[in-house]
Amino acid sequence: MKTVRITGLFIFCLLFQRPLLRAQTDSTGIYLRYILDGSDSLCGVGISRLVALRPTEAFPLLRAINDMRLYRLNGQPVTPQSDEPTAIDSGKVLLLSLLPPYQLVNDDHGHPATTGSSGLTEVKISRGNRLLLTPVLPLLNLFSTTPQKRILAYSQLQQNQQIDQLPYLQAALAQETDAEALRTGKDIYYSLQLQHAQHAATARAYIDSIVMNWSDNAATMLRTYAHNGTLGKDLNAYTAQQAVALETRYDRLQKIQNFFSGLSLGSILILIALGLSIVYGLAGIINMAHGEFLMIGAYTTYVVQCIFGNIFHSHSDWAFFISLPVSFVVAGLLGLLLERLVIRHLYSKPLESLLATWGVSLILIQAARSIFGDLTAVKTPTVLSGGWQILPHLVLPYNRIFIITLTTGVVALTYGMLYRTRLGMQIRAVTQNRQMSACLGIETRRVAAVTFFIGSGLAGIAGCAMTLIGNVVPDMGQTYIVDSFLVVVTGGVGKLAGTIVAGLGIGFLTKLFESFFQAVYGKVFILLFIMLFMQYKPKGLFPDKGRLAED
Amino acid sequence: MKKKDLIYYIIFLLVFAVILPLGHVAGLVSTNTISLWGRYFCFAIAALGIDLIWGYTGILSMCQAFFFCLGSYGIAMHMLLKTTAANGATVPDFMVWNKIETLPLAWIPFQSSGLTLVLCLVVPALFAFLIGYVLFRSRIKGVYMAIITQALALAMWLLFLRNETKLGGTNGLTDFKTLLGFRLADTGTKMALYGLSLAVLCGAYFLCNRMVHSKFGKVLLAIRDSESRISYAAYNVNDYKLAVFVVAALLAAVAGMLYVPQTGIITPGRMDVKASVEMVMWVALGGRGNLKGAVIGALLVNYLYSICTSLFPDSWLYILGFFFVITVLFFDKGLVGVVDMAWQKWTAYKLRRAAIS
Repeated sequence: MKTVRITGLFIFCLLFQRPLLRAQTDSTGIYLRYILDGSDSLCGVGISRLVALRPTEAFPLLRAINDMRLYRLNGQPVTPQSDEPTAIDSGKVLLLSLLPPYQLVNDDHGHPATTGSSGLTEVKISRGNRLLLTPVLPLLNLFSTTPQKRILAYSQLQQNQQIDQLPYLQAALAQETDAEALRTGKDIYYSLQLQHAQHAATARAYIDSIVMNWSDNAATMLRTYAHNGTLGKDLNAYTAQQAVALETRYDRLQKIQNFFSGLSLGSILILIALGLSIVYGLAGIINMAHGEFLMIGAYTTYVVQCIFGNIFHSHSDWAFFISLPVSFVVAGLLGLLLERLVIRHLYSKPLESLLATWGVSLILIQAARSIFGDLTAVKTPTVLSGGWQILPHLVLPYNRIFIITLTTGVVALTYGMLYRTRLGMQIRAVTQNRQMSACLGIETRRVAAVTFFIGSGLAGIAGCAMTLIGNVVPDMGQTYIVDSFLVVVTGGVGKLAGTIVAGLGIGFLTKLFESFFQAVYGKVFILLFIMLFMQYKPKGLFPDKGRLAED
Repeated sequence: MKKKDLIYYIIFLLVFAVILPLGHVAGLVSTNTISLWGRYFCFAIAALGIDLIWGYTGILSMCQAFFFCLGSYGIAMHMLLKTTAANGATVPDFMVWNKIETLPLAWIPFQSSGLTLVLCLVVPALFAFLIGYVLFRSRIKGVYMAIITQALALAMWLLFLRNETKLGGTNGLTDFKTLLGFRLADTGTKMALYGLSLAVLCGAYFLCNRMVHSKFGKVLLAIRDSESRISYAAYNVNDYKLAVFVVAALLAAVAGMLYVPQTGIITPGRMDVKASVEMVMWVALGGRGNLKGAVIGALLVNYLYSICTSLFPDSWLYILGFFFVITVLFFDKGLVGVVDMAWQKWTAYKLRRAAIS
């Protein structure tokens, strides 16, 4: 194993050793002058000589010519760092030198030069001369300034399978800066070397390098090689074994990823079901409009973002974080209004409340549609875009992490509110026995109203969080409402612990079934599972015992 | 009471069995309107089932639209196969697009019309029996029942949306030409279907009426009002619930069977979560626990729907939602309840007037 490592290291060193020959650089310099200063025909000579000689260090220059991105600053050839035309016009894009390849250039004052620097002139190359580049075109993108183009170019090399292009690949990798592109490039480099390896030991070293490189198609590549390899049975068996090891590892990563998405789905369900469960437990209200408070929270986020954008002309991340408490309050207040107007008449009549709130939800959906139109989206704050890359194939998106953290926080706060405050004690008392609490001087109506405020507010927060992972549409609440009711039913009504366990459980199971079957069948299986579960625990995970239990 | 019911029946039959058909013969009522009312009758049949299970037994089932669609899909499959055979193809067009060459096993029985009729009734009944058995056995009731049946409707809707179910996916089944050899486009067929729907509605009403006034119906009412007491009196509550659940599902399925030939299309949209709740809304608006109320509610809401969506399409949901909230909050006996109350006040007023004079 140790020798294998060392061989791998050796190959790695080879890769980064630049094949620079002094004399060649000099000749490149001469032709460069032809291109920059010469007449049209002399420029043509320069390009065609460079194409014929193909010195690796000249490729960035050739690419700049092909993409018409060749500029001159103080007699030196330069190119903008970005390919976007608008960014170039803005005059703020940094300039990179082309010989030596891709290094920052300073202007007269010693600052990094940008496209706005004085003395920058575009070097125009005629179309005829640019056409001279045709023979090397496939190689030029290896030296592109955008990582995506480089990745594409690497992949194209793989299809050609020509060993004589290896030096260029090597040169390109030597100056590769992007991690993803580097992985793809190295993968292709190793696989090309592997295809052309003459000795089992060399091949083995490349196989190890491939395994260590963690690329997407490494396992398939190794499998193919194990099947077609010509360097003896031993090596093929070794390759197959490595492929299997790699697949198991990817499988495990996939499981972690699934586990994580289950966790995130579960937290969303918890966030929605929390308010639902408390309200149902306390007041016997099945609030079908709960999903619409989620929608209200999402639209509040949207409105806050619009206010920030249009009035304060600010696009900072604060808009989102401010909208979290704002949507809690807005959704809560509307919930309070609903309680005053409708719910008040329906205490302890769950079926009636279910139907009446369904009517309310129809009105709210239509209202949102008339006010906001059909589709709006909230910009994800920059802090929360992207993901935490733990391993090459394990990326945990920040927005999901945020939702999980938010849920944890909200659950902790709710727990504190229910079990550590006077209000919480009153809520629990009313949940247990309404009449008795009233006899003991608790204003049950007021407690119920406050509970409804909190429950709707929690839905508003959930809606705010949902804008991170989806569009804001009028009927977005309907997507999750049935699932969150299932959470309430499975967890047991009005039970904080039940809601959490059931939410996480349903989230995990959904993702688990989805990885076995398709998403839709996963849902059907979840339902069958819950129906079976209810056979044994008709009152949910944590049923009331003794006198508290109903009939 | 009997006399007032008679007035309802006479008005109903006069309008729908005499005036509307006569108007059509005289050229005053278009075939479209006739067909529209034929469809509303189907909804009314399904509403009768909901009234039985919800209004009389107190079980809120939120998956009636699913049973409705089971019946619909059965008939639709049969009609589609007949149309396909008439065109000389072996499988319906949508299967060709999905690259299915041979007829799926589940479709084969639907080639025969007799078997189709049987299956359209047996399959929903079987489904209802299984669901009901599992749910009632574990004593799931009230809100739990509503939520679980709703989740079931959601799952089935998602399942029917898929192409793998081989039932046309999102587009559903459409493009039917004939039913039992009659061309669906003919006015005569449409009138016959209208008449059939009306007859079935009257028959279903008659049977339901007999049922709720029998001993069986009294037990249902007792279950609604106090389930534990009736079970202490040695009635097997689960059997009664199961029976009424299956009957309601059958009524919904029959309604679905009559509905498809008159509409010409069936899509999973008919069985989504909203559809089932809307069906419950008809009964709630008309007056639950009252068979007349269910029929009136279904007819009225759907008629209002077709008027409102053509006059002011954006506000239909406002109107429906508003009426619904108001009804649930203040008139829990629905429209029929309001009328009854007014009637009572009126007779009381008349009696008082008579006493004074």
